[in-house]
Amino acid sequence: MAQEANGTYKNGTYNGWDGASIRALFDPKTGWLDRRVHSDEALYKLELERIFARSWNFICHDSQIPNPGDYFINYIGEDQVIAVRDETGKVNVLLNTCRHRGNALCRAEQGHAKSFVCSYHGWNYALDGRLIGVPGQKTYYHNDLDRSRLGLMRARSETYLGFHFATMSEDAPSLHDFLGDAGRTGLGMMCAFEDIEVVDGIQKNVIDCNWKIAVDNLFDWYHVMYSHASANSSGLVDLSKVLFPNNQMVMLGEYGHAISGPGLPQATQDQINQLSDQQRIEMAKTLDHPLPRIRPQKALELMGSVGIRSMGHPNIFPNLWITLEGLQMCLRLPRGPRHTELWWFTFVPRSATGERRRRMIEMATHLFGPAGLLEQDDGENWSQSTRACSGVASRTLGEALVMGVGRDKVEVAENGQRRVETGINEHGQRWLYRAWTEWMTADNWAELKARTPQAEGVV
Amino acid sequence: MSAQALANPARKASPGMTLSDRALLQFQIEQFLYEEAALLDAQNYREWFSLVTEDIHYWMPIRRTVTRSDRDREFTKPGDMAFFDDDHRLLEMRVKKLEASSAWSEDPPSRSRHFVSNVRILDVADDDITVDVCFHLYRTRLNSEVDSWIGRRTDVLRRFGTTFRLAKRHIFLDQTLILAKNMSTLF
Repeated sequence: MAQEANGTYKNGTYNGWDGASIRALFDPKTGWLDRRVHSDEALYKLELERIFARSWNFICHDSQIPNPGDYFINYIGEDQVIAVRDETGKVNVLLNTCRHRGNALCRAEQGHAKSFVCSYHGWNYALDGRLIGVPGQKTYYHNDLDRSRLGLMRARSETYLGFHFATMSEDAPSLHDFLGDAGRTGLGMMCAFEDIEVVDGIQKNVIDCNWKIAVDNLFDWYHVMYSHASANSSGLVDLSKVLFPNNQMVMLGEYGHAISGPGLPQATQDQINQLSDQQRIEMAKTLDHPLPRIRPQKALELMGSVGIRSMGHPNIFPNLWITLEGLQMCLRLPRGPRHTELWWFTFVPRSATGERRRRMIEMATHLFGPAGLLEQDDGENWSQSTRACSGVASRTLGEALVMGVGRDKVEVAENGQRRVETGINEHGQRWLYRAWTEWMTADNWAELKARTPQAEGVV
Repeated sequence: MSAQALANPARKASPGMTLSDRALLQFQIEQFLYEEAALLDAQNYREWFSLVTEDIHYWMPIRRTVTRSDRDREFTKPGDMAFFDDDHRLLEMRVKKLEASSAWSEDPPSRSRHFVSNVRILDVADDDITVDVCFHLYRTRLNSEVDSWIGRRTDVLRRFGTTFRLAKRHIFLDQTLILAKNMSTLF
């Protein structure tokens, strides 16, 4: 288990950045963001330590590795990890680096193994990370090697609704508490209809943009009609229906989690609440929507009385986007300040077969991913925006996340869920960067817990 | 679909064909492939689209880095996730998007060059000819962006008078992580 990762952050400064100068990068009261957050090398390295190594990171869904020995490779920041199911059925998240010289144990991105054997000198690790074999232990090492101290480094791993997460921090709260209401509502959206399973094939591509520009874009319902106008012309999707209903609901949660986008009016939801699940299925057939679905009764428990109304986009801080009302999720993996890998995971109900399954997968393949009719146009906006964060003059200009600032009031429901009901806005983006400054300046988890913003009053 | 079968598809014997029949067919097919590549490079997508059949399947599965023992799972299977999985209707949507005045990812337009080589006729069955080719799609964009996609395709060309129509294009890219911000062009 890693020490709290602040070893390179000495005497309150890191390559010239101290708490005050990091705080000055974003002003939640005005919405102005310093462009250097999308280009500065030192800030990026600090993000790997202070955000990715300390937060819970999505690793894989249970259905990706159903059998003992099944593994899937993912990352915590830039640390490569193996998620593997062992003989007892437990999922272990292990650093993919041999304790001898550091070589990668798994070089495939997914597969099945009985144990992990290093290709360099043949050190052999069990599926739970124990070092079980060292060639020449007696002959060359004279039995001096203490194998019990040389197991693979483990990340802490926990599961919510079948989604496996991992952290390198011993001090992080439980996954349940880290997710908080907004994070649990977001993952609840994935499971609101039926039990789900992953569809084989994770789309992966790399975009020359800062990871946070990709993340903050998911809250941005302002760009949809303009950036994606040509997808509208293609006939695949009528974006005005995706933007239905017109009112936007933003849920602002712990540690930077948020859900933003169209929200069903309360009166509509009140009517739906009177219907049986069968009546909801019949009603959905009458909807003129790309994904004609109405959540069943059980969704209330998973998403809460406010969350169930959301037709928007959850982000589990820092980098897990849930979209298409739970059909897909996209992980944005940092690769230096100017590059991000996008990994698309697609899920369908276990019960879905034939035409129903085909239509869901058709929507997923044709909207998102590098060849998706929507997503093709995002990358250029993000890469050109990132590029302009490096120019000596252009980086001084700031980014204006000012839409709706100071105009909306947070409402708190009886169940404690907090939301803003408004029109198109930039609340989600501001919430992201506000949380980012807390993550970047808190010296430890205790400080982060104490300072994680609570949405209240006027935002 | 096993990777071995994909990497080295079996060539069926065409017993009735003489060497000169085969040479003529090879020439006709290569000319067709060059012509349709030129249409794509000229961004004449509508005319290119007129060369595909109503029952076209235009498909690029997702490739994964897997161990040798796991090679039958190297590519996703039909019906699972893919980068492209288009019938005639969906492929036409891509053309319409490219024709729209707001297709920002291709305006300013990219410059592309489609190369095809290693053309092997695998099967001649009635009017459908199965062809295996290697391709290189080179794209530059704005001032400094370069994308280079190499792979192989299995195309089915259907005889249409003295020329052909494209009835199937299955694209097997030699990348697992796609090293590009998008794939906004056609292969």
